[in-house]
Amino acid sequence: MRMISAGLAAVSLMAIALSGCNREAALDPAQTGTGENTIKLAEFPDRPYWGDTHLHTDNSIDAFGFGVRLGPEEALRFARGEEVTATTGGKARLERPLDFLVIADHSDGLGATRRLYDAPRWYVQWVIGDETVLRWYDMMHEGPEGSQRAIAELITAAANDTLPEAFNDPESAREGTEDLWNDQLGLLDRYNEPGVFTAIAGFEWTLMPDGNNLHRVVMFRDGSDRTRKTLPLGGIDTTVEQLWDYMAAYEKNTGGKVLAIPHNSNVSNGLMFEMTMADGSPMTAAYAARRAAAEPVVEVTQIKGDSETHPFLSPNDEMAGFGVKGWELGNLPLTATSTPDMHAGSYARSALLRGLSLEARLGVNPYAFGMIGSTDSHTALATGDEDNFWGKHTGNEPAYKDRAMQPQNLGTREGRFGWHYLAGGYAAAWARGNTRAEIFDAFKRREVYATTGPRMTVRIFGGFDFTEADWNGDWVRAGYTRGVPMGGELIDKGRAPTFLISALKDPDGANLDRVQVVKGWLDASGAAQERVYDVVWSDMAKRPRTARGLTPVGDTVDRKTATYTNTIGAAELRSVWTDPDYAKGQRAFYYVRVIEIPTPRWTLFDAVRFGFALSPEAMADAVAQERAYTSPIWLGPPPQGTT
Amino acid sequence: MTLAGWAREPLVHFLGLGALLYGALTWGGTPVDPASRVITVDAAQQAQLALGFERVMGRAPTDAELDARIERFVREEVLYREALRLGLDQDDAVVRQRMVAKMDMTASAAAEIAEPTEAQLQAYFEANRARYAGARSVSFEQQLFGDRAEAVAGLAGKNGSDYLSDAGQLSSLPAEMTDAPLREVAARFGQQFASGLVQVPADGQWHGPVPSGFGWHIVRITARAAQEPDFATLRPRIANDWRSAEIAAREARAYAILREAYRVEIAR
Repeated sequence: MRMISAGLAAVSLMAIALSGCNREAALDPAQTGTGENTIKLAEFPDRPYWGDTHLHTDNSIDAFGFGVRLGPEEALRFARGEEVTATTGGKARLERPLDFLVIADHSDGLGATRRLYDAPRWYVQWVIGDETVLRWYDMMHEGPEGSQRAIAELITAAANDTLPEAFNDPESAREGTEDLWNDQLGLLDRYNEPGVFTAIAGFEWTLMPDGNNLHRVVMFRDGSDRTRKTLPLGGIDTTVEQLWDYMAAYEKNTGGKVLAIPHNSNVSNGLMFEMTMADGSPMTAAYAARRAAAEPVVEVTQIKGDSETHPFLSPNDEMAGFGVKGWELGNLPLTATSTPDMHAGSYARSALLRGLSLEARLGVNPYAFGMIGSTDSHTALATGDEDNFWGKHTGNEPAYKDRAMQPQNLGTREGRFGWHYLAGGYAAAWARGNTRAEIFDAFKRREVYATTGPRMTVRIFGGFDFTEADWNGDWVRAGYTRGVPMGGELIDKGRAPTFLISALKDPDGANLDRVQVVKGWLDASGAAQERVYDVVWSDMAKRPRTARGLTPVGDTVDRKTATYTNTIGAAELRSVWTDPDYAKGQRAFYYVRVIEIPTPRWTLFDAVRFGFALSPEAMADAVAQERAYTSPIWLGPPPQGTT
Repeated sequence: MTLAGWAREPLVHFLGLGALLYGALTWGGTPVDPASRVITVDAAQQAQLALGFERVMGRAPTDAELDARIERFVREEVLYREALRLGLDQDDAVVRQRMVAKMDMTASAAAEIAEPTEAQLQAYFEANRARYAGARSVSFEQQLFGDRAEAVAGLAGKNGSDYLSDAGQLSSLPAEMTDAPLREVAARFGQQFASGLVQVPADGQWHGPVPSGFGWHIVRITARAAQEPDFATLRPRIANDWRSAEIAAREARAYAILREAYRVEIAR
């Protein structure tokens, strides 16, 4: 007996000893760094690289609780196009691989639920000794439903700042985090192949005062040679300025680069894009500059809704309101409802407008951000397509056939259902090649765009002398040499700016309905204004403008079979567009919105595949026009002191 | 440096390390004997706790912080020993699962650090060639037409000539791609086109039409990589896949060796 227990102790110690040693096999140095000088780069960014910057695996405290048992390695394999077996058993595969992936597990309690779940019950009972934790532990071991209930409670507790002490023990959390982080960095390097697939280090920083979502994904440019010198920063009990301090310290100490991507402003109850600083005092130029530098891009569309704009804010935009239902009701756990006065701080378009106002006052625009989409999937499966939706989390993978009709409330109030989830978005990055440095730098200069899932190719160049004749030559070169791409800034020259705009449909997807320019500006009195221009659309001769907007493109979706045809719409739309409402000295931004023809949403695919009826409300929302949002191009006066 | 075959066996690692640790435990070091009621936190142990702190926080702990760590270490040790004394590990399903997982890990951990030889990777690559087929590359020119009839007419116009006329539609799609892996072709032209392109003979003649989401293309393949998947470029991926396969194989082998020592009786 004595022998056996000593032997058992030896076994476990041996496992610990082995897991503690350096597990890295020698890698090609090209894989472990930023990827600079590893592949031949194009002269100009030549195609959009597709990725997801917001994927959770079983290392996320909530994802594990929701039941996912796939880790970062499966996530990377799946994103690269390989088939994996989902937690609930089905075979999952992306028909088209992604080009890059950021695994963004929550830094708070990184791996904590998994460690809790793996711990012996007596350890939880005796050593942790917290009744709530023990109850969650038992619920997690009951089965998937218990696990999901436990995690819903946990998220609400985190939002209400009533997490048990055991989850807040910073030091033991750090120890657990360090092992996971280092393992993950090694894994990312192994899967990082310059020119083929880019694996990017990151984490999600989960600040959530009173349940109002202020989450950011933190994304690194570097390989493990630098990222090993830091650890993910916890979000609970910090402020956004501490995040920026952390990022600045990382850059200073390692010579590396890092940026943060806010997301789900739609459930922030107006706190994501405030006119003031986080503490309520008037915004200073220094604060605005820090925010702009640290957060050049915002994730505006993902599974938990779309944050481009809200019909309340954009009453004259007949295409406003995509992905707003359900999410507009309140903050993340629905512990506080949203009121209309909060919307301007919760949506991207109004934030871009607020940025112009603040810039006029401070000389710095805190909200001059580019836009991307991502998934925020908690299944380790980065799925963005309507016909391949693997769920927000493991509790609504396709194995749960009625998932579209199930209530999805994190807190206790009613209001959100499965069908409110979008299938998830993707990020497109215009880069000269597929490496960490190229992808990151595209984000940094905002040469990125958002889609709600489809892979349309969208370009916009702003300048002052583009003409139709440019299409006949190398117009991409013209765009880069005589103008600026999306994310760029134009300096007012006293005449209206002109834009080269091109949109190609997703080659394997639906045709395009229309291409629009969304302009926001400050009028002569300093008031913020917005307008949506239909720039080019399919069958223009047959679809005149009416008082209520363009004649609709039509709808080919068969509700019985969840199919559509590309007999309407266009494969490619492009235009040289000059701002008809330009006024000298105006501060403005311009971004492109590309709208697809109507297609079935994942809910309709589910209803047909699994043979059940959607509620009338869900059915009314079962067909949608998916879209892309580019980063804006800004127009403004020359910086002060440089006349 | 290569090791003899037996030295690569997981069971050998397992026994070797086990013996080493057993020796260390028997001859001194940190006592983890649950029967003992003495917990010694000696200088070495304290240094280890301090080092752990320093690695994460980037500075040495203050006296108070070190005291707190020692206190926690003692608490865990007391409760751990008491739990063992009460036999709480005996019928705990999670303990059982954890130990199974750790056994698997000891078998696979060596594979995580093992350096495959080039010959091993080559052999793995040859055995799994089909998996890497997507990496072959092609050089081609294309012109797009709005419908099939126009494309057929366009193809007739090309008859015998390799002059790329202005026929076809204005499009932002590249008119040609050089040495492009098929996945790059698919990223720009879509899956339908990429799979159509595979069927087109590489004879330098115009062929088609090949359909895509954009319309109908006539295409001319100027070169197709004869060597389909290329070991050198795929090496990192092959090494990853080899490692995954090796981990699974070692776990299976280690289990098979252990399993052999048991006689299992299943009541029917």
